[in-house]
Amino acid sequence: MRFLNTALAVILIVTLSLINVAYAERNFGTGADMTQLAKISSILAAPERYMSSPITVEGAIVKVCSKRGCWMELASDKKFQTLRIKVRDGDMVFPMAAMGKVAYATGQLKALELSLEQSKKYLAYLAQENDEQFDVNSVTQTMTIYELSPTGVTIKD
Amino acid sequence: MAIKINWFKLNRSLHRDIGYFCIGLTLIFAISGIALNHVDDWNPNYQVTQQRHFIPDINTKIDNDDFESWLLSELKLDTSVKARFWESPKKYKIFTKHNHTLLIDTQKNNVVIEQVTPRFLLKSFNFLHLNEAKSAWTYFSDLYAAMLIYLALSALFMVKGKNGVKSLRGLLVLAGFCVPAAFVIIYSY
Repeated sequence: MRFLNTALAVILIVTLSLINVAYAERNFGTGADMTQLAKISSILAAPERYMSSPITVEGAIVKVCSKRGCWMELASDKKFQTLRIKVRDGDMVFPMAAMGKVAYATGQLKALELSLEQSKKYLAYLAQENDEQFDVNSVTQTMTIYELSPTGVTIKD
Repeated sequence: MAIKINWFKLNRSLHRDIGYFCIGLTLIFAISGIALNHVDDWNPNYQVTQQRHFIPDINTKIDNDDFESWLLSELKLDTSVKARFWESPKKYKIFTKHNHTLLIDTQKNNVVIEQVTPRFLLKSFNFLHLNEAKSAWTYFSDLYAAMLIYLALSALFMVKGKNGVKSLRGLLVLAGFCVPAAFVIIYSY
């Protein structure tokens, strides 16, 4: 009986630990559709061209939501540029340990129209993140930011 | 001859055996429940450690071809680079194959080594609690919920007499409903 209890405990711990094992490729949702690849820099240069149908983007994961894994940022092929991949809480949970890995995300590009107040807050947040001086009164116009709402994501090692 | 079922005994036996089966699941959901309840105060899935280093030559060497290997050796990190990214004109990020993120401030000649390590077991508990597994786990956890409902209802018929639910102890059942109701009344209106 003691052997049975020990064996069950070992099986439980090993099984649960296996979930943390690194995967060579991990899919979320439907997985990414590699046939619709578009460059992040091209998308952000002319976003209106990419709003009508689903697209796939590729990039190294450079930031992940640390609380719920509900968003991640992919590095663009252009310096200082990223695209946020955002899901509803729980639909997909992007692992923090995937930072630096290459991700492919297929979905719909969405435009978020910020009010003047939101634009100020957003730019102040970016300046704080980058440790830069920022004058909130310098913002006089509203802005639009873009993010991808994915139906499928593939993360490769 | 009709078989007479002793419902009281059957209920106790089922409550006992289903209860035994639910111990593991209840611990998993309860432990991860506490962990996830405090997501604003800590990271329930990963342990994130940071070490700050001052390396005086970063801004002069960052454009060199061997910068990355030089930096890794300065930081005594035996690994290789997986990806890199210019976050801003002053901030450069390097990701290593051993899950380090090097946050390089070229203006201040600072490097923060950030390492993300999954929390042993707890990450797996949270994985199940948040139904990241989806598919069959969804149905299995529905079954677990049904078993919990059975355990709750069958508990009402476990004890007869002066300690039964019809005695003063029944007030504890009432309290179990009143406490959440009070929170709803206080916080949701």
